[in-house]
Amino acid sequence: MKKWISAFVLCLLIPAVVVGGALLFSAKRYAWISLCVACLACLPVFLRLERGQSGARRLILIAAMTALSVLGRILFTPLPGFKPVTALVILTALTFGGEAGFLTGALSAVVSNFWFGQGPWTPFQMFSWGFMGLIAGWLSAPLKRSRLLLALCGALSGALYSLLMDVWTVLWADGGFRLSRYLAVLVTSAPFTLVYAASNVVFLLLFGKPITKILERMQTKYGL
Amino acid sequence: MALLQTENLSFRYPGAEKAALQGVSLSIEAGSFTVVCGPSGCGKTTLLRLFKPELAPAGEQTGRILFAGEPAASARPGAIGFVQQNPDSQIVTDKVWHELAFGLENLGLPVETIRRRVGETASFFGIQGWFRQKTDELSGGQKQLLNLAAVLMMQPRLLILDEPTSQLDPIAAADFIAALQKINRELGLTVLLAEHRLEEVFPIADRVAVLQEGRLLLHEPPRAVAPKLLSISPDHPMLHALPSAVRVWRHLAAGGACPLTVREGRRFLEERYAGVALPPPPVEAPPAGACALDVKNVWFRYEKESPDVLRGLSLRVTRGEMLCLLGGNGAGKTTALQIMAGLDRPVRGKVLLHGRELKTYRGGALYRHNLALLPQNPQTVFVKDTLRADLNEMLAAMETPPAERAGRMEQMAKELGIAHLLAAHPYDLSGGEQQKAALAKVLLSDPTVLLLDEPTKGIDAFAKRGLSELLRALTRRGMTVVAVTHDVEFAAEAADRCAFLFDGEILSVEPPRNFFAENNFYTTAANRMARGLWKTAVTCEQVAACCRAAEERL
Amino acid sequence: MKAFAGLHPAVTMTYFVLLLTVCMFLPHPVLQGQALVCGALTCALLCRRGAARDVGFYLPLFLLVAVTNPLFSHNGVTPLFFLNGNPVTLEALLYGLSLAAMVVGVLLWCKAYNEVMTSDKFLYLFGAVTPKLSLVLSMALRFLPAYRRQARRVSRAQKAMGLYAGSSMVCRVKNRLRVLAAMVTWSLENAMETAASMKARGYGSGKRRTHFSLFRFRPADGAFFAALLLLAAAPLAAAAAGALNFTYYPRLSQLQTTPAAWVAYAAYGLFLLLPAMWEAKEALVWRCCKRKI
Repeated sequence: MKKWISAFVLCLLIPAVVVGGALLFSAKRYAWISLCVACLACLPVFLRLERGQSGARRLILIAAMTALSVLGRILFTPLPGFKPVTALVILTALTFGGEAGFLTGALSAVVSNFWFGQGPWTPFQMFSWGFMGLIAGWLSAPLKRSRLLLALCGALSGALYSLLMDVWTVLWADGGFRLSRYLAVLVTSAPFTLVYAASNVVFLLLFGKPITKILERMQTKYGL
Repeated sequence: MALLQTENLSFRYPGAEKAALQGVSLSIEAGSFTVVCGPSGCGKTTLLRLFKPELAPAGEQTGRILFAGEPAASARPGAIGFVQQNPDSQIVTDKVWHELAFGLENLGLPVETIRRRVGETASFFGIQGWFRQKTDELSGGQKQLLNLAAVLMMQPRLLILDEPTSQLDPIAAADFIAALQKINRELGLTVLLAEHRLEEVFPIADRVAVLQEGRLLLHEPPRAVAPKLLSISPDHPMLHALPSAVRVWRHLAAGGACPLTVREGRRFLEERYAGVALPPPPVEAPPAGACALDVKNVWFRYEKESPDVLRGLSLRVTRGEMLCLLGGNGAGKTTALQIMAGLDRPVRGKVLLHGRELKTYRGGALYRHNLALLPQNPQTVFVKDTLRADLNEMLAAMETPPAERAGRMEQMAKELGIAHLLAAHPYDLSGGEQQKAALAKVLLSDPTVLLLDEPTKGIDAFAKRGLSELLRALTRRGMTVVAVTHDVEFAAEAADRCAFLFDGEILSVEPPRNFFAENNFYTTAANRMARGLWKTAVTCEQVAACCRAAEERL
Repeated sequence: MKAFAGLHPAVTMTYFVLLLTVCMFLPHPVLQGQALVCGALTCALLCRRGAARDVGFYLPLFLLVAVTNPLFSHNGVTPLFFLNGNPVTLEALLYGLSLAAMVVGVLLWCKAYNEVMTSDKFLYLFGAVTPKLSLVLSMALRFLPAYRRQARRVSRAQKAMGLYAGSSMVCRVKNRLRVLAAMVTWSLENAMETAASMKARGYGSGKRRTHFSLFRFRPADGAFFAALLLLAAAPLAAAAAGALNFTYYPRLSQLQTTPAAWVAYAAYGLFLLLPAMWEAKEALVWRCCKRKI
């Protein structure tokens, strides 16, 4: 049942929204359509949590990891671009699985925006951070084995986050997707992207191991 | 009728050699107020958690637990309420009203029923005033009261509390105990309370159960506890943890009914020794010596516009003395300590350490061989995954040569009695052990001045005695200790001088006997009992000594 | 803005969702202009302080979006001048202005949204749809301030042990990371106690949870709700009927002045002013009450 819902959403509903939206609104409402897609993409994991029999400890674990990654975002506000959110989401996913990673990422976006301001960009951030957790969860076996891969993953996801958010900026500020505009946005945000990717690498290299160790200790101590 | 009954209950944690509980047979009457006590690690928490099926630890259990005649596991959810130690970590949601409703939401009750019960409970506990606040903005006492109210929302038949006041200041703790007594008296609710601070709860209990090494030592009315303990062993360690009145009584080996409260203790003393004048005790000379820490007319506030927290605070701490800084909540004690530790800069005035201003110590020199602060919560000290790694980090920061590190660490660990814990994770230690471990880490910086913030918070009477002896040993070696505390009993026993802080300034600094003799309210229970007869008797031992001297004159 | 913020969250949320939908769906110059002006007005009413700083932020943003469009887009038939051989057209410039009005308008209304839709209202609505997720959010929101406080305590404790020294960038980053790592252990250990407290209060007892809140849907909420639906329906209906078509490229189309279009403009204007009018109404009622006493 659960699998069917996710399959339905991912394979049918999202393309339907994209195609339908493009046809209905003469392809001018990319921002709106992409917003719907971002929301829909979060749906399967949310539904699984809602329907599943996850106990108090798992819920609270996600809540705590979410609060921690937001704390990270707040602790490092003086250093622009240096945000350990992605790194913490990845580490959560490595120990507790892709779904926990997705939820931590998605909820971190919502919670941190209670401080930094909600807006139409919230679903995008939810999706981008959540998606990174999901991927890290899928790749957890190789990522756990090699520090190099983990660092690479950090760099890539940092860059990917910027790329995804820039798509949104262009769609929104331009009413449509224009490659020249996108490239211009990419160039202007390049320093941030670089710092962001580099900070992920630094964070994962320095603290990937200790934090994984802490999380695994909790896993064995409390049987999460 | 017994509401809760255990029959020959034993329990062993997985992989543990010794059983945590052995053959405990206990029967709790409906409507009674029972206090469970015993030294740390006696199995109190294990026993209480076994009563609450949802919280029961995993392990090997034999014997039965019956709740209202049925196995406890089959009780309806919420029939047994449980309040834990830490006020903060029990709160689940972000609003007070939501926290109250949380339990009933879980039971799936209709919204209108919840609304009614939330309103009723909030008014019973006087929560209306902060009903719509964020849980995070509450004081510790309010938080614990909220936890209690949230548990009572479920209309339990038995209320279990595991050291609920250990993290509260004395005034909040007394309020909490008063609320418990009200619930027990007015609603007839059965209360089972584990506690190590017995001064207030002992007199109001119907029964006291004492656990020792996993066995039930006795289960008696409070008045019978001390005589029973004395008959088991005249120097039973549990005797030190009892209320002051009981302790004075047992020092005298006087026989007769054992007094429990200050009022009874006072009557007990006055009936026997009224009119016996004793020569005043030798005047305690203020310690002489060089000045270690000199606080000169310090003013401080947190924000530019906020009110002053310290208003011209001045204090001279002599080298090698132990000074306790006492005062109520919000008097500025912790702020004063942070300023002495160099964490905050005074707006006006200055702080001198060994004659040099704090801000002239540069590049961490202040915290090497000079000054160290043990924070209120020892958990803030640890950042590594074993105690050994944490201590090693400190040695590395002190630039101790690697070859000497192991020896230095062993020596420190042995001195504090934590040598067997070095491989453990700091968070797996008990409260008292954590504090010693944190102290070990702090002491590795080899300070001449040690600052302590509420060192007795959350530790039991035995750990407190250990701490007081340890601090004595340190001061004898020439270390200067300044402790900020709420705990007048501890100050009376451990301090060379006590200072009273109020409204941002020091009102008096004196040796403890003179200090407490001059106070009317803010003094030890033993002094409140004896002050009508001998004003300067401050600790139980001193009162007992006065009694003995009086016996000789009678 | 006590009155508007006091409305039932479902009403407030519907208002903002409809508003943002119209903003993003109907790129019509009149509607966009109205949204921008009324957004600024509502923001000024909501958050009186910091207005100067806001102008300093939104004005450059407006200009940036407006000016950059003609530099990237060379559609349109009315060249104003040539830059690097590319035409800068009137249509592209006006389209840029309209985009800028949309972006800044949406941002202003988002600011109003953040002011009114506090986290508890959001959680209430969210919880009606996904109770578990909303519970997780509520816990995360409760943890965060406690974590911030603890992080501060840890960093001060470390500082007082001489382990948090150094003021260079590398030191600062390293120190903060150390604190964060210590926070992970602390928070998860405490979280397990919270989980125990949840279980002790019947969480996971198998019953279906109810969703309790202090919000009540009152007649006034109903009135506001009806008004906002009616007023928002007008521009949407007009747009669906094709009465609000407007194109920039290749050349500007004529602004509609049909009765339907006028009704749509007026209704949308009223819709945007609803919060301000609601506030005024409450102020009037308050004054009348006081006079009677």
